[in-house]
Amino acid sequence: MTAADEKIFLANVRRALGIDSPRRAPRLFAESPSAYSKRLLEKISRRTGEETRKLIHRLKEAAAPLNIDLHVASDIQTAAALITRIAADKSPEWADRKTVAAWRHPLIERLDLPAALDAPVFFSEPDPGLSGEEARRRMIEQIAKSFIGVTAADFCLADTATLVLRSRPGQARSVSLLPSIHVAIVEADRLLADLAELYALLSWDPEQKTEGLSTCLTLITGPSKTADIEATLVHGAHGPRELHLVVLEQNS
Amino acid sequence: MTRITTEKYRQQAAKGAADPVLRGALANLQNRFGRGTAECYRRLPEGPDLRKRAKRARQESIDHLDVLLERLAEKIRSRGGHVYFARKGKEAVEYCLAVCRRHGVRLAVKGKSMVTEEIGLNRSLSAAGIEAVETDLGEYIVQLAGESPSHIIAPAIHKTRKEIGRLFADRLGIAYSEDPPTLTRAARRALREKFLAADMGISGCNLACAETGHITTVSNEGNIRMASTLPKVHMVFMGMERIVARLEDHDMLFRLLARGAAAQNMAGYVSYIGGPRQPGDSDGPEAFHLVVLDNGRSKILADPEFREMLCCIRCAACLNVCPVYGRIGGHAYGYPYSGPVGAVVTPLLVGINRAKDLCSGETLCGACRHACPVDIDIPRMLLALRAKLADGDPRWGVKRTSLLEKAAFVLWSKLAGSSRLYALAMEAAALAQRLLPGNRQMIRRLPPPLAGWTQYRDLRPLAGKSFHKRWKTNDRSR
Ligand code: SF4
Repeated sequence: MTAADEKIFLANVRRALGIDSPRRAPRLFAESPSAYSKRLLEKISRRTGEETRKLIHRLKEAAAPLNIDLHVASDIQTAAALITRIAADKSPEWADRKTVAAWRHPLIERLDLPAALDAPVFFSEPDPGLSGEEARRRMIEQIAKSFIGVTAADFCLADTATLVLRSRPGQARSVSLLPSIHVAIVEADRLLADLAELYALLSWDPEQKTEGLSTCLTLITGPSKTADIEATLVHGAHGPRELHLVVLEQNS
Repeated sequence: MTRITTEKYRQQAAKGAADPVLRGALANLQNRFGRGTAECYRRLPEGPDLRKRAKRARQESIDHLDVLLERLAEKIRSRGGHVYFARKGKEAVEYCLAVCRRHGVRLAVKGKSMVTEEIGLNRSLSAAGIEAVETDLGEYIVQLAGESPSHIIAPAIHKTRKEIGRLFADRLGIAYSEDPPTLTRAARRALREKFLAADMGISGCNLACAETGHITTVSNEGNIRMASTLPKVHMVFMGMERIVARLEDHDMLFRLLARGAAAQNMAGYVSYIGGPRQPGDSDGPEAFHLVVLDNGRSKILADPEFREMLCCIRCAACLNVCPVYGRIGGHAYGYPYSGPVGAVVTPLLVGINRAKDLCSGETLCGACRHACPVDIDIPRMLLALRAKLADGDPRWGVKRTSLLEKAAFVLWSKLAGSSRLYALAMEAAALAQRLLPGNRQMIRRLPPPLAGWTQYRDLRPLAGKSFHKRWKTNDRSR
């Protein structure tokens, strides 16, 4: 397992392709947005309130057959009340006590979950007093015990009801994965039409480009599901068995 | 190495075809997914032609594989990930074992990966005292039963809920049930413990993105997210062709993949993973290893006749429409890749002679080509394989399979080329057929080597007087 092995491997690939020496193919990776991407970026930046409302409508249509519980909240208090109700109604799966795991995120801070919920809220940050691996292990244990995980999606794709989450400090991947119920909140102006818009934005938008895909970008469409036993659909295979999506409409 | 039983295709196929439970399950699968996929393609805003565009993107990527792989490796290394290029399956397995030793791995959780089936990773891990647990529900069922997957996407399609109920009662100690939600919950419980205790997560890669330097994993259950997020080491195995150049291309490819694989508009979970957890990240593995595997793929790449096969994204759409797969099931093909894709890929990977019956087993009906999200011309390649078997091919080390068959066809073409000879031969054959068992209406049994023709059906005898002759007599009598 040396650099030499790698050279031989790649030389072999080149030989198969009929090429004798390493080459560059700059055209393969675009240096600037294509006309198509430019059009998409334009469309996103010019999106009006009316168009966003249409996207919400499309989102509703896509979410229903996927068994996503979609809620539209007109302000942050309504959103918080919604989550409080979910927490009160549902029972825990992996522990006797109700605990909630949440991301550190400006939007979630505004929900003020510790005040809104009866259950203790654990924010997904490793304990700085512990070593890296140990801190991470403890944190995962906490999240695994929680029955609800609250995240804030970077984007939401209306056509397929797909959530887009990136990994960042304080925003553990396991919060959208280990708890039985995943509640994701997204602001209405973060709605995009489809994957094409997302990829254009991540590739070319000056603000999004720097972060790019991050170490781990996850697209989530619906609660966890399987059809491996006689092709019968069952929710909650390994990930969350319920997915609640709260769309927060602005200034209304 | 994984067990290869392609030589027993005929017996295995006969066994599958004779199993009524299997045929019912396959019919159910094909009715749902096969039809659903076709409907999904029709509803695409760009229309079914999107498949042609997707193929072009795949082909462009395959033609630049060296550049793309270098770029991917460079990006992943810049984030602290490790990349290892393995020419042979054995090297890939050894690399994995070395990483296991370094991290003291005792328990590994696996997401579904065809490549690890191909290199027989599980056997090697267990030989080294490492428990490797399959976590995709279908794969888990198959592993508990000590069997092998029979479909790329629905590995346990050959098992009934009753069988699974008994298996779980036996192995997981739960009360017998044949209710899919109850059984799924039992597996959810059992596997969750494994996820939380595992030292290593192993996954495949659906389609890497060279431009950004990420591998991708796709699942509906969330098991691959678990395997790639919770254990301290994440190990990825990827066939070297599973990469495209640009993020933009992923748009159409993932839309088509979800439609081809499960008649969905979008898969449940798609993750882009670019390396181990970065400073400040809350979770994710501390070590990330990517193994890029050749294992015979560069040979396919070098042959223009078969290079197209490397565009395959292993969606299984072709299995869901294939009339042959639908009768015999995946185990008949004797290797992890089954159905039309298996009938081409398997011979190219394990040896064309060794898997000679696979390409003759398929009917050339063309259904696979219409179902394929990247428009791969499988029938053309099935024919190319048959031609190699008939004529031999030193480059692929193919020996002629049947000189007798070849001779028979040479003779046939001579006969068909001359009406006089043809008429003579037919008259002789019409006389000879009287010696065969059967009545006047039907021939029941032909002697070897033609016996196969009458194994499952009777043959109509040749008419005593040919059409040609009758036409002439009629003509005269008019
Ligand atoms: S050949 Fe086409 S249809 Fe078959 S698995 Fe590959 S991509 Fe899917």
